[in-house]
Amino acid sequence: MSLFAFLTTQSLNALSQAALLFFLGVGLTLIFGIMRIVNFAHGTLYMLGAFVGYSVARSTASFWPALLLAPLAVGVVGVLFELVILRRLYRREASAFLMVTFGLALVLGEIVRLTWGPEALQVEPPQAFAGIVFLAGEPFPTYRLFLVAAGIIIAVAIWQLLDRTRLGLIIRAASQNPEMVSALGIDVNLVRSMVFGIGCSLAGIGGVLAAPLVTASVGMAATMIIDAFVIVIIGGMGSFLGSLIAALLIAFTQVFGEYYLPDFALAFMYLLMLLVLVIRPGGLLGKEA
Amino acid sequence: MTKFRGITRRTVTRSAIAGIALAAAPRWPRPAVAADVIKIGMPLALTGPLGSVGQQLKRGGELWAKTQSASGGLIGRQIQLLIEDTGGNPADAVRKAQEMVERDGCNIFTGITLSSEALAVVPKLEEWKAIFISSDNGDGRLTAESFVPNFFRSNISAPMGARAVSLFLRESEWQNVYAIGMDYAWGRNSVQVFESEMKRANKNFIGSVFSPIGTKDFSTYITKIRQSGAEAVYITMAGDDYNAFLAQAAQYRLPEKVQLLSEVVDLTVPRAVGDAALGLISSMRYCFRLDNPKNKEFVALWQKEYDTVPDNNEGEQWQALKMLAAGIEKAGSTETGSLRSALETTAIDDIKGHVGMRKCDHQAVQNGYMVKLAKGEGFSYPVPQIIATYPGEKTTPVCNKMTFED
Amino acid sequence: MARRPKYLRAWYGIFPAAMLALAPFALPLYVMTLLTEALILGLFAMSLDLMVGYTRLFSFGHAAAFGFGAYASGWLLLHTQLPMLCAVPLAALLAGIVAIGVAWVCTQATGVSFSMLTLAFAQLLYAVAFKWTSVTGGSDGLAGIPRRGGPFGFDAFSSRTGFYYFVLIALAAALVFCWALVRSPFGAVLRGIRENEAKTLALGYNTRLYKIAVVALAYGLGGLAGALYAPFAGFANTELVFWLFSGQVLIMVIVGGSGTLIGPILGAAFFLVVEHQLSNYTEAWALGFGLIFIAFVIFAPEGIWGLLTERLGRAGRSVR
Repeated sequence: MSLFAFLTTQSLNALSQAALLFFLGVGLTLIFGIMRIVNFAHGTLYMLGAFVGYSVARSTASFWPALLLAPLAVGVVGVLFELVILRRLYRREASAFLMVTFGLALVLGEIVRLTWGPEALQVEPPQAFAGIVFLAGEPFPTYRLFLVAAGIIIAVAIWQLLDRTRLGLIIRAASQNPEMVSALGIDVNLVRSMVFGIGCSLAGIGGVLAAPLVTASVGMAATMIIDAFVIVIIGGMGSFLGSLIAALLIAFTQVFGEYYLPDFALAFMYLLMLLVLVIRPGGLLGKEA
Repeated sequence: MTKFRGITRRTVTRSAIAGIALAAAPRWPRPAVAADVIKIGMPLALTGPLGSVGQQLKRGGELWAKTQSASGGLIGRQIQLLIEDTGGNPADAVRKAQEMVERDGCNIFTGITLSSEALAVVPKLEEWKAIFISSDNGDGRLTAESFVPNFFRSNISAPMGARAVSLFLRESEWQNVYAIGMDYAWGRNSVQVFESEMKRANKNFIGSVFSPIGTKDFSTYITKIRQSGAEAVYITMAGDDYNAFLAQAAQYRLPEKVQLLSEVVDLTVPRAVGDAALGLISSMRYCFRLDNPKNKEFVALWQKEYDTVPDNNEGEQWQALKMLAAGIEKAGSTETGSLRSALETTAIDDIKGHVGMRKCDHQAVQNGYMVKLAKGEGFSYPVPQIIATYPGEKTTPVCNKMTFED
Repeated sequence: MARRPKYLRAWYGIFPAAMLALAPFALPLYVMTLLTEALILGLFAMSLDLMVGYTRLFSFGHAAAFGFGAYASGWLLLHTQLPMLCAVPLAALLAGIVAIGVAWVCTQATGVSFSMLTLAFAQLLYAVAFKWTSVTGGSDGLAGIPRRGGPFGFDAFSSRTGFYYFVLIALAAALVFCWALVRSPFGAVLRGIRENEAKTLALGYNTRLYKIAVVALAYGLGGLAGALYAPFAGFANTELVFWLFSGQVLIMVIVGGSGTLIGPILGAAFFLVVEHQLSNYTEAWALGFGLIFIAFVIFAPEGIWGLLTERLGRAGRSVR
């Protein structure tokens, strides 16, 4: 493989990996940024998205409905949980949220296992992106290109939502000063429900998009949640742009690190995390220090 | 008074305390069917990432118990399986096994799922005066440096699987081989055995790479394999990592360039990755296609009970219990000392043909198989076809070691 | 509100202590094993309470203390001739000393960032434990750890019942130590940091030093729990350093009632026993387990200790 081919393939590998990591982390950072909740159930919601995606894809024999319906379903689950449980806890300490999302992770995880069984399930990529392209003579799966594109689209969409729309303005205001926002006549509770729902939907999208690469499996939640935390920590809790940068940083470090120093593959993410935190305790773009 | 839909805190407090008291109450020993029931402890990983393996072992055990009980039990006594969930956690496995020994008077174990659980339990067997016959643990050291007299292995071990693959490679035209394994004891050990076998077979072992457990993106590893110039790659992976690797390897069209060979595979893999598993060649510990009367009978029985064909671990659990039963019948009792001596020289002719326990290291000597996954009639996913069989003497390592001589 | 007379309040402490001391005579052996493990986890949870309950420092990496202690005592018992009575405290001391460095780095941050730094260190320890096979046994861990008696032939703690008393004494000693600590001026400063760090700082206290101290103490006591676990179970493996375990001990503290020292001990026992019993009965135990936690958050925000003290007529709550 020529150097050019190597660099091209590896960079694209890293970009597609970054896209996956971004989907994983963005929901978590949004929820924390706006609601100050550390959502331990994030990995389980991601997993739920993958399994719902499996069922929808199976019954409609197509990927696209799954991409639409799975995040919707996970978002609904999130909103319901917020309405019934979380809403009682806003006056309480942070430890209440830790425990209640931990409980949700256990309950939801078991429901998934009981519903879909303990085996891993296949989710096929969409027909349009199931092939390969040749880059500098090396085959590269088009699905990964689709992931990169999807990552860019979703990132831009969220950015526009937060930056340009009235809803985004309200969300950002509510994260900084909920009392003032409430005094202006806006239902802060509604805002919170929406944000939690959107955060969970993003987890769901992540799950569905990752499924053709890793299958929908019950072990997903546990492996994903720690990665999600690392992304958000490095990027800065609550920073949308931070999670994007962190995803890119981690992906490139891992892809090239795994290649040249595979023995340290396990430690890369954590070393990076430690390095970032020592230099900037709040994360790269975090607000806390 | 905080109220939540009419339920007062006081009510909840009282029920909580009652619940806690109930939960804390030590569980009474299971009601025994009769005073001299034969109890076989199975602390399985029924939930968690390897839950599907534990479920297979459970099904294999339950069908055996059902069949054996239907024909009058074992040495005139009823059989009872003690099945509990360890979640794949070694601490839980030890705790539950100990409880089975002390609360239920159990002295026979099988079905411990993870090698980490087995490694935690094995040092305690002597203290518990309990026999453990493995149906699933492949770690080579359990019959080598970690060997204890109360341990028996009925299943094909990881070195035996690696050996089968290397014997297959000897007969093939492929010269240049690479290896990839999961980065923990099993992966490292299996690749090591394979590497030494390749050198003895005068094949070119180009190199190896290990991926951390929980790797989700294998793109870099696939690049490495591709770049190595290998014609075949030896894979020691299992579970979610294996599924992800195969799915992604197929997406990169790796199988077109490099033949994938793996140490072990079961039917959950092609079910999880579909056509990405086509063409995979692997050693398999039990295959439903084995062509002998006992196996055909077993497969028919299994299909009647579970409406599907038996998988890798299901067959292995069946065989382990058959071995155990033969040992108990030979000893005429379940007393640990006599059972141990009897098992050491037990041999059966069952679903995998002739299988005989070896006295020196308690490894069951049995045929090794190589399968290739291909489309099969009546299956929606690729299924194994047996492409090579090797006699037990050739695939079983030297006593108490993980090396071979030939 | 009339308070119960003092001697009655002392009875609330003596009664459970007596029950625990006499337990080996009344309970079957397998229940004693469960109880011993509950006490070890109780010590672990109580050590975290010093940080969480009294100083509002949420550690997401406390398993590192436990795991480090377990590996240290396990290694010492396997590779040296040291008896348990020496290896266990030594391992705990090592854990505390190493924790000073960790604490120094982590306390550079506050709030969630502090928690994440503790997680980072714990994960790094996990990676080291996983890969440094020659010392830690890698993914297999250390097995066959003996309960070596001595010095001078003192063997009483090596039997099952003896080891139970060893753990009980260690827990009691640690509890007394922590209780005295939180009632001392040191403890008052910790509470000041918990309520309002800026004010405490303004009062002239070097809050950073106090935080480092409490973290080191907490990790040291957590290390003691781990050091006891290694000879108890006979093995030490990477699961003991895993982030899931860190999350579980945090839950134990919250379920038990943070900031009460005894609450977390009860929380740990509760967690262990309920998980053990539920999984004996059904595969779907995680469902019930999760629902229990959610119910606790909604109905019993003060945790088990809160429920008990409410029930027993407000006689407790002495250490808040």
